[in-house]
Amino acid sequence: MAEAPSWAAEARSAATAALDDLPALTGTEEEWRFTPPTDLGMNGDAASGGAATGTVEMPAAAGRAARLTFTDGAPAPAEVAGLPDGVIVSELGEALATHEALVRDRLYSLAGFDDRPGALNAAGWDAGTFVYVPRGVEVELPIEAVLTATGDRGQVFGRTLIVVEEGARATVVDRYLSPDLDGAVNVSTVVEMFVADGGELEHVSYIGWGRGVRHQATIRAAAGKDARARSVNVTLGGDVVRVEPTMYCRGPGSDARALGLYFATGSQHFEHRVVSRHEAPQAYSNLLYKGAIQDTAHTVFFGNLVVPPGAPGTDAYQTNRNLILNEGARADTIPFLEIETAEVKCSHAGAVGRVDDEQLFYLMSRGVPELEAKHQIVYGFFQEVLDEISFDELREELEAAARAKVR
Amino acid sequence: MADPILKIEGLEVAVDDKPILKGVDLEVPQGEVHALMGPNGSGKSTLAYALAGHPRYEITGGSVLFDGKDLAEMEADERAQAGLFLAMQYPVEVPGVSVMNFLRSAVNATRGEELPVREFAKLFKEKSALLQFDPSFADRYLNEGFSGGEKKRHEILQMALLEPRFAILDETDSGLDVDALRIVSEGVNAQRGPDLGVLIITHYTRILNYIQPDVVHVMFEGRIAQTGGPELAEHLEEKGYVEFGSAEAASSPR
Repeated sequence: MAEAPSWAAEARSAATAALDDLPALTGTEEEWRFTPPTDLGMNGDAASGGAATGTVEMPAAAGRAARLTFTDGAPAPAEVAGLPDGVIVSELGEALATHEALVRDRLYSLAGFDDRPGALNAAGWDAGTFVYVPRGVEVELPIEAVLTATGDRGQVFGRTLIVVEEGARATVVDRYLSPDLDGAVNVSTVVEMFVADGGELEHVSYIGWGRGVRHQATIRAAAGKDARARSVNVTLGGDVVRVEPTMYCRGPGSDARALGLYFATGSQHFEHRVVSRHEAPQAYSNLLYKGAIQDTAHTVFFGNLVVPPGAPGTDAYQTNRNLILNEGARADTIPFLEIETAEVKCSHAGAVGRVDDEQLFYLMSRGVPELEAKHQIVYGFFQEVLDEISFDELREELEAAARAKVR
Repeated sequence: MADPILKIEGLEVAVDDKPILKGVDLEVPQGEVHALMGPNGSGKSTLAYALAGHPRYEITGGSVLFDGKDLAEMEADERAQAGLFLAMQYPVEVPGVSVMNFLRSAVNATRGEELPVREFAKLFKEKSALLQFDPSFADRYLNEGFSGGEKKRHEILQMALLEPRFAILDETDSGLDVDALRIVSEGVNAQRGPDLGVLIITHYTRILNYIQPDVVHVMFEGRIAQTGGPELAEHLEEKGYVEFGSAEAASSPR
């Protein structure tokens, strides 16, 4: 890794200092009452790592414009299939120096170190992904980063910075994978994305950890005037996973969507905290998360539409739906609104229900056994989210992953 | 006479604790097509759902033997796997589940083995042509946005794919125009044979002009009130259900 420029070293020191100064999280804080912060290593709680009981099947790099891989956070050389002129896909630690002008003002500006998850990541990350798409350029195939955990290290970091300039367009995938681990690994990741005026970015985060992994993921996206920013998050794996996407509508006419699906089984615990913030008038945002919960798993959804004064013409929606597949599985849903502007259109809905008896009977009356029938209904229920993924092959991969979960 | 594929004795069924069927006796020998007619509310659809194993329809007395096996002991999926099929009056919409995925899992489940994709595709193509479906139909979501005719044709397509040993058609004719009724009836007739028993549940005689029944039963107030040959349907078309105490007609309004 190249020598970090002084501003980056200073940021690192400041983050480390913040980590020392910020009070430890106790789990009694309102935003931490569902997921014990120590389960995610938020107070620097060390995790032992552990032996892998299998290997990760790496997805094929085919069909990607570029791919970066990080084993326990350590980068391998990038595989680049062909990128349009001016597009940069680089390891983020390198980019601090090599692309300083593009990185410096943006890194930490959406996700800084004023809270423990942020400080922990800012103080600890070594390597990450940097994607830059210059003005007017379209990257047709997805750019992908894969972060794996092997169990050799108890704490793993990942960090992604994406910049899509005016009128540019890209799809970026962050994929998180590990085998089942005997032991525990804490993972901290941050994704910051900037979509300039008229740009379009689709970001897909796929959380496919094996057993033993605990993951806190911060995702932040800022959309400029008439820009489209989309965050799709699929949470299937890991023991304890907390994902926190926030969409910032920063320019009039911006269109920000956060879509997610999760399927928790066994004793998995997933929390999703999804927020849109309307910092400009006449912007649109839509949060749609759907989940299925089986066995003794527990999921939490907290959603919030924040419309401060000065954002008239806001059009904002929020929906969370959960299917409980058996007694003993649990879902909490907390849809929230903070509206301080008049003349807005906002709606929010949260629901927790069982699989529809009539749908279940219909499938079973065709010979499909009960559990398989429930899973079919669940996949169908997820389809509304998956249908929003514009890149066909990616959508099919995620469909297959969701289906493979309970085989 | 062949052994009965379906033998119902003294069957009592309650829905939400309310008794609907009050001692039904009915026997269908394998290979025969029987019609079950009766006015609204007589219990025809209740019998259909109870036979298919809908959990809301509780068998409170009597017995149902399907090919000698006690149906009451079997879940809905087990009944289908044993060769029982119900074409529903109101097929259920299942958003996001494609027709293709649904049909494949149904075919695999009833066969008890995975049919290779290519063979399934061939089978699907052949049977969907019979029911006059466009191949793009496979990608649609189950019953979502289907017209009434499409829903019913899709039910009979499933019957053709699953090759049941006994099929109950619950008001398959309701809401169909003449063309759709003809397609559906031809789909059923093509499957008719010594290895398929059929129970056609209908209010009206119209569908029986397309699918000739061997035996006609009339249900009234939760019991079989009369059994006869095809001429019984003609008789009902003229007289309606008046002699059973109902003012309803058995022929479609013209």
